[in-house]
Amino acid sequence: MDRKKYGISGFFQRIAQPFINFYKRFMDGSIGTKMSHFIMGAGNIYHGQIIKGLIYFLIQVGYVVFMVTCPKVNNTPLGYKAFINFVTLGTQEGDIFTPADNSMLMLLFGVVTFGITLMYLFAYNSSIKSSYKADKDLKNYGKVTTFRHDLKEMFGNRFYIAMLTPATLGAVVFTLLPTLFMILIAFTNFDKERQAGLKLFDWVGLDNFTTFFTNPSGEIAARFLPVLGWTLIWAFFATFLNYYGGILLALLINKKGLKGKVIFRAIFVLTIAIPQFISLLAMRNLIGEYGPLQSFLIKVGIMSEPMSFLANAPNVWIARITIILINLWVGIPYSMLLASGAIMNIPESLYEAARIDGASKFTILRKITMPYIVFITTPYLISSFIGNITSFNIIYLLTGGMPKVTGGYIAGGTDLLVTWLYKLTIDEQQHNLGAVIGILTFLLTSTVTLITYRRSKSYKEEDAFQ
Amino acid sequence: MRRIKSFRSLALLLAICMIMALFAGCAKKANPLTIWVGVESVDFYTAKMAEYVENYKAKTGEDFPYEIAVQGVDTGSAASKVLDDIDAGADIFTIAHDNLPKLTAGASAIAPVRSQALLTQIKSDNPQAFLDVIDMNVQGTTYTFGIPYIAQSLILMYNTKYLTKDDVKTWEGIWAAAKKHNMQSVSLTGSDGFNNSFLVLAKNETTNRMPTVLYEDGITENCNFTSDEVVAIMQWGQRFFTGANGAKMPTDSGWEIELRDEISLGVITGAWKFNAAKAALGANLGIATLPSFTLTSEDVKGTNVKAGTVYRSGTFADCKVFVMKKGSDKADYLEDILLFLTSKEVQEQSFIECANLPAYKNAAKEFASMQTDNLETELAARQLDMFDYGIPQPFGTPTSQFYYYSKGAPDLIREILENKDGLFGTTEAIRTQLQKVENIWKTGERE
Amino acid sequence: MSEKNENVKVKKIRPNYLNLSSSEKISRLGAYILLIVLCIIWLYPIVWIVLNAFRTEFNPDGTMVGTVVSHYWPKQVGWDNFKILFTNTYFPVWFRNTLVVAVFTCILSTMLNMSVSYVMSKVKFKMRKPFMNIAMVMGLFPGFMSMIAIYYILKALGLTQTLFALILCYSAGAGLGFYVGKGFFDTVPNALIEAARIDGAGEARIFATIILPISKPIIVYTALMSFTGPWMDFIFARVILGEQNTHLHTVAVGLYYMMYGQIVDTSRFTVFAAGCVCVAIPIVALFMYLQKYYIEGSTAGSVKG
Repeated sequence: MDRKKYGISGFFQRIAQPFINFYKRFMDGSIGTKMSHFIMGAGNIYHGQIIKGLIYFLIQVGYVVFMVTCPKVNNTPLGYKAFINFVTLGTQEGDIFTPADNSMLMLLFGVVTFGITLMYLFAYNSSIKSSYKADKDLKNYGKVTTFRHDLKEMFGNRFYIAMLTPATLGAVVFTLLPTLFMILIAFTNFDKERQAGLKLFDWVGLDNFTTFFTNPSGEIAARFLPVLGWTLIWAFFATFLNYYGGILLALLINKKGLKGKVIFRAIFVLTIAIPQFISLLAMRNLIGEYGPLQSFLIKVGIMSEPMSFLANAPNVWIARITIILINLWVGIPYSMLLASGAIMNIPESLYEAARIDGASKFTILRKITMPYIVFITTPYLISSFIGNITSFNIIYLLTGGMPKVTGGYIAGGTDLLVTWLYKLTIDEQQHNLGAVIGILTFLLTSTVTLITYRRSKSYKEEDAFQ
Repeated sequence: MRRIKSFRSLALLLAICMIMALFAGCAKKANPLTIWVGVESVDFYTAKMAEYVENYKAKTGEDFPYEIAVQGVDTGSAASKVLDDIDAGADIFTIAHDNLPKLTAGASAIAPVRSQALLTQIKSDNPQAFLDVIDMNVQGTTYTFGIPYIAQSLILMYNTKYLTKDDVKTWEGIWAAAKKHNMQSVSLTGSDGFNNSFLVLAKNETTNRMPTVLYEDGITENCNFTSDEVVAIMQWGQRFFTGANGAKMPTDSGWEIELRDEISLGVITGAWKFNAAKAALGANLGIATLPSFTLTSEDVKGTNVKAGTVYRSGTFADCKVFVMKKGSDKADYLEDILLFLTSKEVQEQSFIECANLPAYKNAAKEFASMQTDNLETELAARQLDMFDYGIPQPFGTPTSQFYYYSKGAPDLIREILENKDGLFGTTEAIRTQLQKVENIWKTGERE
Repeated sequence: MSEKNENVKVKKIRPNYLNLSSSEKISRLGAYILLIVLCIIWLYPIVWIVLNAFRTEFNPDGTMVGTVVSHYWPKQVGWDNFKILFTNTYFPVWFRNTLVVAVFTCILSTMLNMSVSYVMSKVKFKMRKPFMNIAMVMGLFPGFMSMIAIYYILKALGLTQTLFALILCYSAGAGLGFYVGKGFFDTVPNALIEAARIDGAGEARIFATIILPISKPIIVYTALMSFTGPWMDFIFARVILGEQNTHLHTVAVGLYYMMYGQIVDTSRFTVFAAGCVCVAIPIVALFMYLQKYYIEGSTAGSVKG
């Protein structure tokens, strides 16, 4: 296959290949195929594949109509005008009676029209290919495939295309295009002083990044490192404490001869099943100054007077430690379940062999059980580390990023990159800075992923199992 | 083979379901005239609009051309919702007046009032302080954008079991009672710029002047927060917030519980928390204007202010306003509706039914419902009293309004109040910090 | 896999309690005590919410004490909070909305997810590796960053402020989460499929008759995950449905506004707790019932290490 085409030359070869094929088909093809380069489906109709040809033709008509008529949403056109607007991001300043051009929608619709065009080009190429294939079929077998046959093929050998199309379409429309849009926002000056539809904003190149990094006295930049630092500390503790806590709990529950395993496990699974906004809100009220927990602790003499542990904590670290502890409550059951699964799958023969060798219990734990669990659950460890970097609910629901810190600029003492990003974009409408932080968060998570995941066996030896 | 059949029929069923859902989703919805009001008064305004539609029919002889939908949207989030998608905003919606700069920046997201009848009603019935803040300048021309209909200011809600009417005249009286019962003097609902206005906007009782100067005459640079008087007030505040049984900073549990569990004697808050306070204290709820306080020799140390000077706690005296969506296809009907919704009668009824304080000047004298003797009337009367000690949240330009809120000035003030000894033990330290606050108000930057 | 479990179980029943050493007994006792303490810690907040749902204490003036109180055990219990929940709030409507969204999301995203997982695992087509890499990269961007864009795309499709929009929003990206499913299908022997192909079965039929029946664990897992999602999300739903459309909210959004909205009525905490109990019961029941699949699914991506 393409396996050998690595390296730079291979890369260019890959890029160039479709164009070479395109040229080849045009030169080689019948009149129908040549026609297909201008009118989609012409080649199919030429070969008598009427339905297929019409479908292609309709796609082309639809696309052309879309591009020419430029349907409007919120007074902002799609179609070819969207491309122009994508470059200018609007020219009409607007006044008290007429609206200004909505730069944000122009940017978005530019991206959307680009996506639609890409899909159209895909269909265009496939129409030519289809016609070219018909040429060949005619030459080799003396007849072309019927529509019925094509349909059958769709559910036969080419079934994977039918299976992938809806998912790909969904992912492109609802994930890829919006993500592209968000990345592009980082290169504009779309902030709260340039609200979409009220004031135009424009492309500013890398300005947002340069102010972010070269202006260390700036409030955003000054907050970035502390927030990043806390994000990493949080991710580290939240991941590893939960992980080893879960393994220990699993070992305890699965201890030989212990009764009621199912019940114990069920109690811990309860916390996984309860929606987080419920359990976290319960926690928040439960440990408040005048909630039942503190009044109990005061009654038994552990605490002398009530204090705030979360949003109003006197010290940032009190809030941070509390969050990490609450996260143990949330997270240990997950890793306990995984570790339990692993423990139950350890082949009994391994234990027998160790016992025959006279290994002590501790040695068995250290040499057999633990390595086995760690081996099986490592992928979970990686994904949970990334999950913790972008963990939103627990911070948002418990403290809302509070307590405030000096010079916080919107970011509070427990804000992670993602919650800060949320506040900047949703609450403060500083979309450009939010996008910059989003990209930086992405760089962080993708670095972690690249370092760990690509090295892991499951990626390298994907097919080794079979 | 049987399995395949069942699979097929299942797939078919699913496809049908999905197509139906698609149609249900795309079905053309009727396009009613929408009005967003505070969540608590949806029912009231729904009834009022039904009345309006009837009047319309009686007056013109024809049905009102649109269906009307009154929906509850939090006043705080309405503005940002509109900014996210102007198109999806209601035809009429309600905001706090200090959101006007945001909404009128650039090409403006809301429409100005143009009907002479409505303008006349606004001019004749509202106090000057409100008239000053509802006009905005868009690209060189000044228009009226907001129609005030609810007023609000900070007041004191307290526990009558422990405090007499005399006690709540001064903070010292409350503090003494707090010491006697070993409780906290007062709780705060938050530590933002609205909550600390009871200190920041305190007024000298004898000169009747506010030491803090904040965007005077609408000029951004007209701020002064570093005078000796302000420093002295801050030192009093330090004593009040750090001393035993003094004021209590917000906690995780929340002030309602502090009030109910008799941890605090009272709370500084506004009418919008009335129901919650009533739920917490029941029959023991009392309402008063914010007390005054007297500077001691300790407080005036390092300043030229005389010991014994009396200050009255201040407040932001705000109004909620109705605004109209720009480019609404029902624009012709909106101003007439607003003429009715902000009329005296409707405001008085809204006071009776939802305890919304009318924005009218002289409301206390004119409205019969405000002459009765119950807690709701007390609530209204005390809020109106507070208007003598307050200013509406001001703004110079749209930008400075943003600075007032989001660049951490309230946090700097909170730091002073919480650190009497140590960090802010000297007047110099306090003054330096106050200078930072002043800079933020003026330019958005600390330095 | 299940066979192996059976074996382990049989062996675990075996220990002979009569001749346990005393140190063994002590360590076992210690384990029980520790576990019970941990269970109390884990149950403490959950039981508290349930107790609050049933707490109906009254003030002297006859109003209900709905706020958080400092005592753990209620002094008086009753059904009043549930009555208020079902008569004075939109909760029944929210519940129905969530159920509709959850069922459709579950069906749609399970279908998308399963088909992508299967293809990624068993069909070696040309764009496979790039496709997998792009999917992985996209999963690393914080999801809600694209919320505004999604809102406007849905609007361009004329769908905002409908439940259908929410369904689309939850399930459209489901195909990208194929890693778990792929991990499962990787363990299905290729020989099985080859044999069917030799018999002349089409790919669609292979998928429907051979793969689906043996994929029950992973299907149940995916369905469970996508079914519970709409019950928990309050970020997307809030933006897509709009705050003002109370009748369109899902339980998460409705309950969120009840406690976190800007006009918070803290005296409604017990009613909120009642709502939480109503939401939690079906989900907890599902989880408990399908626990086995949940564990299998969670480890599916990692079995081969």
